[in-house]
Amino acid sequence: MSIIYVLIPIAILFVCIGLGIFFWAVRSRQFDDLNKEGMSILFEDEKKTVKPEADPDKQPPQ
Amino acid sequence: MSYTGCFHCNEAIPAGSDFSLSIEQQPRQFCCPGCLAVAETIIDQGLGDYYKFRTAPASKAQLVPDQLQLVNYDSAEVLSDLTQHKTDQTQIELSIAGISCAACAWLIEKQLQKNPAIKTVSVNSSTARCVVSWDLKQLKLSDLLNSINQLGYQASPFMADQEEAVQQAELRRFLKRLAVSGFMSMQVMMLAFGLYFGDYTGIEPQFEGYLRWISLFLTTPVVFYSAKPFTLSAWRAIKGRELNMDVPVTLAVFYTFLASAYATVFDTGEVYFESVCMFVFLLQLGKFFEFRARAQARAATGNLLKIMPVSARLVQGDELVPTSARRLEAGQIILVQAGETIAADGVVLSGQSSVDESMLTGEYKAVSKASGDTVMAGSINHDGVLKVTVHQALAHSRLGQIIELQQQTLNQKPQIVEKTTKLARFFIQRLLIIAFATFLLWYFWLDQDRAFWVTLSVLVATCPCALTLATPTAITCALARLNRKGILIKNQQVLEILPQLNSIFLDKTGSLTQGRFSIQRTQLHNTAYSQDTLLALIARIETYSEHPIAKAFSTYLTTDIKNPIKVEQVQVHVGSGLSARWVQHDGTSADVKVGSAAFCDAEAETTAAVCCSINNQLVFSVKLSDALRPEVPALVKALKQRGLSLSMLTGDSSAQVEEVQQQLQFDQVFKGCSPEQKVEHIRQAVAQGDKVLMLGDGINDSPCFHAAHVSVALDSGTDLSKNQADVVLLHNDLNLVQELIEGAMLAQRIVKQNLWWAVGYNLVIIPLAVMGFVSPYVAVIGMSFSSILVVSNSLRLLKA
Repeated sequence: MSIIYVLIPIAILFVCIGLGIFFWAVRSRQFDDLNKEGMSILFEDEKKTVKPEADPDKQPPQ
Repeated sequence: MSYTGCFHCNEAIPAGSDFSLSIEQQPRQFCCPGCLAVAETIIDQGLGDYYKFRTAPASKAQLVPDQLQLVNYDSAEVLSDLTQHKTDQTQIELSIAGISCAACAWLIEKQLQKNPAIKTVSVNSSTARCVVSWDLKQLKLSDLLNSINQLGYQASPFMADQEEAVQQAELRRFLKRLAVSGFMSMQVMMLAFGLYFGDYTGIEPQFEGYLRWISLFLTTPVVFYSAKPFTLSAWRAIKGRELNMDVPVTLAVFYTFLASAYATVFDTGEVYFESVCMFVFLLQLGKFFEFRARAQARAATGNLLKIMPVSARLVQGDELVPTSARRLEAGQIILVQAGETIAADGVVLSGQSSVDESMLTGEYKAVSKASGDTVMAGSINHDGVLKVTVHQALAHSRLGQIIELQQQTLNQKPQIVEKTTKLARFFIQRLLIIAFATFLLWYFWLDQDRAFWVTLSVLVATCPCALTLATPTAITCALARLNRKGILIKNQQVLEILPQLNSIFLDKTGSLTQGRFSIQRTQLHNTAYSQDTLLALIARIETYSEHPIAKAFSTYLTTDIKNPIKVEQVQVHVGSGLSARWVQHDGTSADVKVGSAAFCDAEAETTAAVCCSINNQLVFSVKLSDALRPEVPALVKALKQRGLSLSMLTGDSSAQVEEVQQQLQFDQVFKGCSPEQKVEHIRQAVAQGDKVLMLGDGINDSPCFHAAHVSVALDSGTDLSKNQADVVLLHNDLNLVQELIEGAMLAQRIVKQNLWWAVGYNLVIIPLAVMGFVSPYVAVIGMSFSSILVVSNSLRLLKA
């Protein structure tokens, strides 16, 4: 059972990483408009086949 | 998606028209040249994906982009008012009308990104806003706006008010706090299950201690970061010697946390870390949804605050120089064309026109202006071109004064003490007394060692979670329900006041009436022509006029392209009417005059009448009036049946007020009121103890909005009134007022049910907890169960 002394801290580490990513996403305004970000995956796929040179990244302003 | 109507906007295609375009080898039909042009642009730019993925049809495209207005935005002065400069880039926020789904946002982003001058662009489809930063040297603002307009949207510069920016930042902080409490709750709950099983099957002390320490470590950020808003609010309340709902919340959180921390450090008693986390998470969730609903309503109405008479054309010698209206000074001369908003108070120098002042005065008939007359900022010039000598800068104009009056009334909004706050005060007092009594009881008479822990379980079990969630969840659901019906509520106190409402004040022009002319009665003087032909002919000729009377005929315009009505040499005679040559189907032609009785050489029979003469012979006359909205009589009757006292409050002093009064029978009528008098009338009603709702649409109504308990603006109203009102009706249908009142009553019923449940649960659990029968997990399960029940009950509001 003493394995939990190692496993639980590792789990906490993952939680912290997850929280860090979430904070970054909030700060880069990805949660401001949930509809658009949800739809964007549809459009980008299509875009690549039609116009490969188009920049697929939509950079939100910082 | 399959559409039966226009491929672009899905509106019905008028019979006889033929606008088609082949898209991906399929012929598509359009309703108007505007939609066709927009679709062509979209397809040519390789943005056809839009039609594949959109979830709602586009709004109907307007073909005539107002180039002239757009060019005004290019003047350096206007630009510096609207944009922010960063080294070589300029940033602007635009509000975009016509965004119907997320595909629209994509379409606009892609279109703008193609332009190399544009560095970044981000469109928010839920708030219909767009932030663009671009290189001003390569691209003019008017061209930028134009490229959005080509896609069928109307972009206009926009400045978010301070409050809204603060709210956006707050929303992001809310999300972060929610994430912390959510993530941590999951972890702590997991560990708590280990501890629960340990209680039954036995657990080695070193593992129990370890799990407790980890829980303590994970709960700390929840208590000190996520719960901060509650702590601060409770602290403010206590400093002000008051008790609000956040006081018991904070007390429960900190008492439970500190007791559990003590238990962990000294290895005694019970730990309740999972309760702390769940409690904070659930409360945050309720508050977050409530806040988001309000922020969205606010953003939506914020869009309406387009910067009002933004630009003006200054006459300098022979030249016209576009300038910002805010920079106009007394003595300067401006030129105002037909259809434009007058940018400043002043005196007409030359020209002749009729001016619509209804938004400022409530008078629905246009006022004719000639040289020497005064004009007011914010009124709309109808038909002629005016040269105006500016009298005062915009800030000192009548418009500015009204806005200032409204700012003054802002802080005098009548307040009512929220019921939940009262309940909280009552509840927290009793709770503290019971908890204290329990401690004394156990310490002195029962079991000294258990006194502390039994007190703790009393606090956790009675934890006012359900009680705190009862109101915000119900209100959020009610807001969403009303929003779906087209009612936007910005001030949530509205829902609490509406069920107690007993008096309604209504504005006349534009609110009870349609605010525009419609045909009341027609008279045919010569039977050689049919009435339909003549109406169609007048409608055709009136398309050349900007005058509001012209709009009354627009419904009679025929779009039959096989048999068009041919008119030539149309001339606008300012202040009197129009003349034209009508080429009939048999090839003969006739002189037609449409306009005032004097203009058509007929004897005046009524006011606001339009006459039509053919070859100088009177053939047709039309009586116009500002008709009541069709739903008004039924609505007034229904509101009276609710026992509400109805008053009409209007700036108009014409005979029409009596006509309306005779038809609708209001309890009180106040006519010819200035904005100041309107405020006074409402203050009197409020002083008498009435709960007052004010419904209006004009700039002159907006000061009253803050004097009344609840203010309602109509979608057809002025931007300013919509921005200031507590409630905006998004459809042009006054029946929504009934929906609003009913929705508020339903919300109140659900809140009451929730409160009864929460109080009832506490009455059952408190005696058990006081007797020491409630173990930690029973307390947690009870708390969660009652919270879930309250939330589910609130969700019922979303149905139907």
